[in-house]
Amino acid sequence: MDEDELLGTHRQELRRGTVVLACLLALREPGYGYALLKKLEAAGITSDGNTVYPLLRRLEDRGLLESEWNTDESRPRKFYRATKAGAELASQLLADVSDLTASLHSLNGRS
Amino acid sequence: MTWTDRYLATVLRSIPEAKRADVEQELRSLIEDGIEERVGAGEDGVAAERGVLESLGDPAQLAAAYTGQPAYLVGPDLFPLYRRFVPRLIAVAVPIAGIVMMAVKLAGGGDPVEALTAGISGAINIGIQIAFWATVTFVFLEWAGPARQARSEIVAATGRWTLERLPKLASGRISVGETAGEVVTVLITMGIFVFVATLRTSDASGVEVPLLDSTFTSVWLPILLALIALRGYSHVLAYNAGRWTTKLAAYHALVHVTFAIPVVVVALSNQLVNRQFAELIGWSGLADGRQPVMLAIAVTTILATGWEIFRVVARARRASDAAPRLDTSPRSA
Repeated sequence: MDEDELLGTHRQELRRGTVVLACLLALREPGYGYALLKKLEAAGITSDGNTVYPLLRRLEDRGLLESEWNTDESRPRKFYRATKAGAELASQLLADVSDLTASLHSLNGRS
Repeated sequence: MTWTDRYLATVLRSIPEAKRADVEQELRSLIEDGIEERVGAGEDGVAAERGVLESLGDPAQLAAAYTGQPAYLVGPDLFPLYRRFVPRLIAVAVPIAGIVMMAVKLAGGGDPVEALTAGISGAINIGIQIAFWATVTFVFLEWAGPARQARSEIVAATGRWTLERLPKLASGRISVGETAGEVVTVLITMGIFVFVATLRTSDASGVEVPLLDSTFTSVWLPILLALIALRGYSHVLAYNAGRWTTKLAAYHALVHVTFAIPVVVVALSNQLVNRQFAELIGWSGLADGRQPVMLAIAVTTILATGWEIFRVVARARRASDAAPRLDTSPRSA
């Protein structure tokens, strides 16, 4: 495994846990799968359709997202939006991430 | 029939009926969104479709992500139990099965070589069967919806790890006393063989008739004595090395097997005890490979060999597990 690959693996590992949070945050405004993917990408969070699309379903099953078909446009699209529970979980997780970042920086400062 | 249709059909096959239409509609519109963007960026339609579908990846994996089905046969919850359980089951059942099948063959009038073959092939067969069915059981526990409750109970009952489960740190280091004991045992065994070879009776005309078959005494006995001596030698080698290494254990096992095979074959093929001797003492069944005495010798030899190999291999494994931290370095000469 060369260095780039090593970095890639660890980055992926690091990001895996944040995809859920990113989706919940982004979906405080309603959005459909493909637009969400673009939105995440624009925010610098790259993820794949095969990760995000099934994830939306699972979050919906757990009551963190709700969905609605929008048939106004040429193509019917399934729009998702964070529920109250989803939004609350997102704030909680976001606070945790900030704490974690602070902790890591403090560790970095000390060494 | 487009690539997209085929892709969707493949994904949907593994999606529960109730959700299928909804997933299909959503995925189709997401795929079309992707194609549209690629075409907008100047790609041609066919290449765009291919690109989008290939970036979605293996449909089976996508479907698994939708349904939450595990993408493995036995998951991390059950795997430790599987690792502990299946090898032990095989280790217990295989020798038993081999011996039973050999005994059945002999009882049914098969000759010793036939019986040995039946025993070995039976043992291999049972090993494969057990490995297969135990694996099927674990896969069932992992996958079957109704088994989920059972699985969580099994994991709760057996999977909770406590300190008591730590393997003992017996170092496997061999003591002088132990080695001396083994060497004495070897000498005694050799003595017994030589003693038995001197046993004889005399017939009506006063001619001496030895207990052991003359071919056995002249051909096999020296070889067997040498092999017993080699057994002792491997104990000494192990002492010098400080522990049973894998190589030494393999050597020891080889010596034991080389010893056991002729003993079993000779006993079962009526070539161990002198027939004349047996008739003289009025116990003609003594020399017969299908009568209890020779069968007992054969079975005891196999069991003892199996046990000795198991014992030494287990010690070699313990010693190599412990090797990094414990004092198992070779003794200085």
